[in-house]
Amino acid sequence: MNLRSEGAKGVALSAPATVYVGFLVAAPLLILVAYSMWTQTYVDIDRTPTLANYREAFTDPLVRHLMIRSILIAAAVTVVTVALAYPIAYFIAIRAQKKTLWLLLITIPFWSSYLLRVFAWKLILGFNGVLNSALLALGLIDEPLTFLLYNEFAVVLTLAHAWAPFAILPIFVSIQKIDPSLLEAATDLGSSRIESFLRVTLPLTLPGIIAACLVIFIPTVGDYVTPSLVGGSDGKMIANLIQVQFGAANNWPLGATLSLLAMLSVGFVAIVFVLSANGFGRRIR
Amino acid sequence: MTETNIIEMTGVEKRFGTFTAVSDLSLSLREGEFFSLLGPSGCGKTTALRMIAGFQEPTDGRVTIDGQDMQGIAANKRPTNMVFQSYAIFPHLDVGDNVAYGLRNRGLKKAEIENRVSEALEMVELGGLQRRRANELSGGQRQRVALARALVMRPKVLLLDEPLSALDKKLREQMQFEMRRLQRNLGITFVMVTHDQYEAMTMSDRIGVMFDGKLVQVDSPETLYAKPCNREVASFIGEMNFLPAQVSARQENSLTVTTTCFENLKIETNPNVRQGYGDILVGIRPEQIEIAAKQPDGYDATFRGDVVNVAFYGENVHYHVRVEGLDRPVSASVPNYFHMVDFREGDSVWLGVQSASVIDLGENEPS
Repeated sequence: MNLRSEGAKGVALSAPATVYVGFLVAAPLLILVAYSMWTQTYVDIDRTPTLANYREAFTDPLVRHLMIRSILIAAAVTVVTVALAYPIAYFIAIRAQKKTLWLLLITIPFWSSYLLRVFAWKLILGFNGVLNSALLALGLIDEPLTFLLYNEFAVVLTLAHAWAPFAILPIFVSIQKIDPSLLEAATDLGSSRIESFLRVTLPLTLPGIIAACLVIFIPTVGDYVTPSLVGGSDGKMIANLIQVQFGAANNWPLGATLSLLAMLSVGFVAIVFVLSANGFGRRIR
Repeated sequence: MTETNIIEMTGVEKRFGTFTAVSDLSLSLREGEFFSLLGPSGCGKTTALRMIAGFQEPTDGRVTIDGQDMQGIAANKRPTNMVFQSYAIFPHLDVGDNVAYGLRNRGLKKAEIENRVSEALEMVELGGLQRRRANELSGGQRQRVALARALVMRPKVLLLDEPLSALDKKLREQMQFEMRRLQRNLGITFVMVTHDQYEAMTMSDRIGVMFDGKLVQVDSPETLYAKPCNREVASFIGEMNFLPAQVSARQENSLTVTTTCFENLKIETNPNVRQGYGDILVGIRPEQIEIAAKQPDGYDATFRGDVVNVAFYGENVHYHVRVEGLDRPVSASVPNYFHMVDFREGDSVWLGVQSASVIDLGENEPS
């Protein structure tokens, strides 16, 4: 290959990525699509193309219910996490003296495994958990609170804690990037602190907020560890159903179909979100 | 020009920890004048401007604007607007919305905002560019947007922080004239901070020269150039040849001085310097020294030297001439006038000065 031409250079440079994406993303995706159009017989797989799985997925109320719940839980996690992360990121970017130390502290949860962190929440929120014991010892309650664990609330809380750094970092970067003279200019032109925040800081950090939302929302919809450990029966999500299809139920084609539908729903919601958030940003003047 | 003072700064001081950025600054700015704070970087001129704007509170002293004490009045409530060094154009807004930003804070009617924005853009010759994105603007256009955004607020005082430093030379010169014209037409007081002496001289009615946090001299450009108050000001503004001089006689308005180059020359005393009793320093501007092959006629003092360096600037030629008994060569600048003067390195020449060109710079303190 003549590496001197620009085109050849481009092909050569992108080849590793192309091979990687081809084998590890595109090929598995195609296999998934293929599986979704096959049929599980008891031990074998019938490879006649059919849309029966899709029909089943669309008519089964359980699928729709779990999908909507997954999206709502993920949306709640996203809103809670970003709302809590913004002030932290703002503090580190604007006020904190030792930024590196603060950023290091924020990554501390990652020093232990994800699974351990979920179990930790189980210990904190459980019937005989840290929180209930403490409240009982203080005499604030007479019997353990049962609404803490095994429901949507526990799922949202656990996921929000787990994903917090992923929200803080992009928002931190976008706040850090703002030229301080822009805020001075806003003040000079008569804006109060709140007005400068709403008319300058917020629109300029919108890309960071959108990035944080996507980074949290997309993986959260498909999370199955947290709901299965702290979600109880009320907190089950679509990923738990998919897991069952590939495990106990042994219906890979339906599992593949559900996976694809989950992917499409998430993609659709994400696109609608990004477009409306950007539209909102453009209306701020 | 009316004699009302739009800004009064009295004994203003600003300390950051142990560092004193501005010390004992007292300054009165007249309504409608173009005033420049000139000084090398780090001399406290920007801090002084920011104290007028309200971005920094003085540690001590008082700032009043239009008779109103500014103590405790936040930047967003002051009748000043600022053009920032970086221009600080809001990148998420287009030109029109940038200019309208401050008007929207005042809750004006939509139609009035539109009128005033387009009027302001016309004024800076950006008419019709309302919908241009901030990132599509050239450096000069950004500067004009920043100007329009501040002027549309109709401030009592417009503050400019090194407004032209980001532009290239040609554009800078053009903007100097335009800003001057705008200021004249609007009659708004402009306070500009700059480290560029030419910029300050071409644009300002008066200039305040600052060194190390202190305001050293406030005067018109002409007076600053002709009667600087000390050696520092004399060398910061324009070029200057310095000669130590012995004073042989002191009269009411004149001194008789002797230097290595001339003897018993009677020169005018400089009212801006502190008069002492010892030896003094005198200065001569390079363009006020005549250079000739033969002893020139009609000069109050003439002396000999050897050309050691020639620098051709186009519009004029600079000669460095070594004079017996002086540590530094004397610099003489001659207009490039049909090559009437053309000396080479090593040529022996005569230099001539008029006594009016010899500036009294006061007592010769060892520097």
